[in-house]
Amino acid sequence: MHGIGRILLQNRAGVLDAWLARLRDTAPKAQPASLQLLKLELGTLVEKLTAYFLAGDGDGAKPAFRSVEEQAATISAACARDGLTPMETATLILSLKAVAGELLDRETTAKATELYRMRTALDAVVDKLALITFATFVETREEIIKRQGRALLDLATPALPIWRHIILMPLVGIIDTQRARQVMEWLLEALAREEAHIAILDVTGVPLIDSRVALHLTKTVEAARLLGSRVIVTGISPDAAQTLVKLDVDLSSMITRGTLRAGLAEAFRLLGQQSKDTLETSF
Amino acid sequence: MSPEPDVVTVNVTREIDAAEARQEARRLALRHGFTTVRAHGLATAVSELAMNLVLHTERGGLIRLTAQDATGAAMIELVAEDDGPGIPDLALAMEDGFSTRGGLGCGLPGTRRLVDAFAITSHVGKGTRIVCLVRRP
Repeated sequence: MHGIGRILLQNRAGVLDAWLARLRDTAPKAQPASLQLLKLELGTLVEKLTAYFLAGDGDGAKPAFRSVEEQAATISAACARDGLTPMETATLILSLKAVAGELLDRETTAKATELYRMRTALDAVVDKLALITFATFVETREEIIKRQGRALLDLATPALPIWRHIILMPLVGIIDTQRARQVMEWLLEALAREEAHIAILDVTGVPLIDSRVALHLTKTVEAARLLGSRVIVTGISPDAAQTLVKLDVDLSSMITRGTLRAGLAEAFRLLGQQSKDTLETSF
Repeated sequence: MSPEPDVVTVNVTREIDAAEARQEARRLALRHGFTTVRAHGLATAVSELAMNLVLHTERGGLIRLTAQDATGAAMIELVAEDDGPGIPDLALAMEDGFSTRGGLGCGLPGTRRLVDAFAITSHVGKGTRIVCLVRRP
C-alpha cells in the first residue's frame, strides 16, 4: 500500500495528464468549460488517493478513504449535471486503473509478486470508486424524479372559488390512492375556508374511472355532505358512463352532470333554492 | 391481416404499474380497431385486475394482453396471474358487494360484465389466474 502512495506522490502530475488524455476519448461530447472543471476535480481525486495510499493501514486510512469516496461522488454528480451518461462516467473512473497501472509497471523496481499485490490493491480501490460514482448517479436521478413527483402532486389539484359559495376543482391525470386522499383533504379544506355550499368536481381530465376511483369519489361526496355542502361531479365521458354502468358502481348518491357548464347551472339552481329557503324561514 | 399475435406484458406491483397496464390495454385495443367505448371497457377491466394484484398480493403479478387479428374480426385475451394468497371462496368473491379490503366489491363481478368471456382459477397459498376475452366482430 505504501509503495503505491510513494510512486503516486512522485508522479501525480504525470498520472493526471495521462488520465486527462483519456478523458477526451471517454467524453467526446463534453463542453470545454465543464472539461476544465472536471480536470480540477480529477486532480483533487488523485491528490486524495495519494494521501490514502500513503496512510497505508494506519489510523489515517479510514478518514482518508472517506475523503476519496466523497470526491468520487462529487465528480459523479458533476458528470451527471454535464450530461455525461453513467457509462461514460464509470469508464472515466475505471480508466484510472490503466493509467496508474502503467505507471506502477514503469516506476516500480519491486519483484513481480510485489507489483501484483500493488496492482490488485489499486484495482480494488478504483473498482469501488466506480461503483460509488454509479450509485451517486442513480441517487441524483432518483432524487430529481421524486422532487418532480412531489411538484406534480402539488400542481395537480387546485380548488378555485369561481362564484360566491361555489368552488371548482378540476382533476387532471391519474387518480391513485395518494392523490385521491389529497383531493378529499383539499376539497374539504377549501369548502370550509371559502364557506362554500357547493363544490364542482370536474373529472374531464381523468383518463379512467374504475371502482377504486369511484369509491374515492363517493367518499369525498359523503364527507362534503357532513360539512353541509353538496358536490357536483362533471365531465364523465360517454365511454366512462357506459363502463361504470357495466361495473355496476353505485353513484346514485352524487349529483352528476355531463359538462362543466351543466354542472355550473345546477350549482346556481341549488344556490337559488337555498337562498329561497333561507328567505322563507326568515320571514 | 397479420396472423402474428400482438402481445403486451406488464409486471404489476405498485399502483403506477396498474396505470401503465391500462394505458397499454387502451392503446392495444385502439390499434386493433376496437371502438373507444370497448377500449375504455378493456382498460377498466385491466385496471380492476391490476389493482387486485397491487392490493391483495405481496409480490404483485403479471398482466398479459394478447391481440389476435382474424379476417374481419379481432380478439384480445387478457390474463392476470399471481402467486399470491389465492381466493378461498370464489363464489363469494364473484358476488356483487363483497370486499375484503373495504372496496366497493364490484371489481371481479364488474370485470366479468365488461368482457365477453371470463374464467378464474385460484388455489389458496398458490395464486390466482384470471383469463378474459374481448371480441371485435
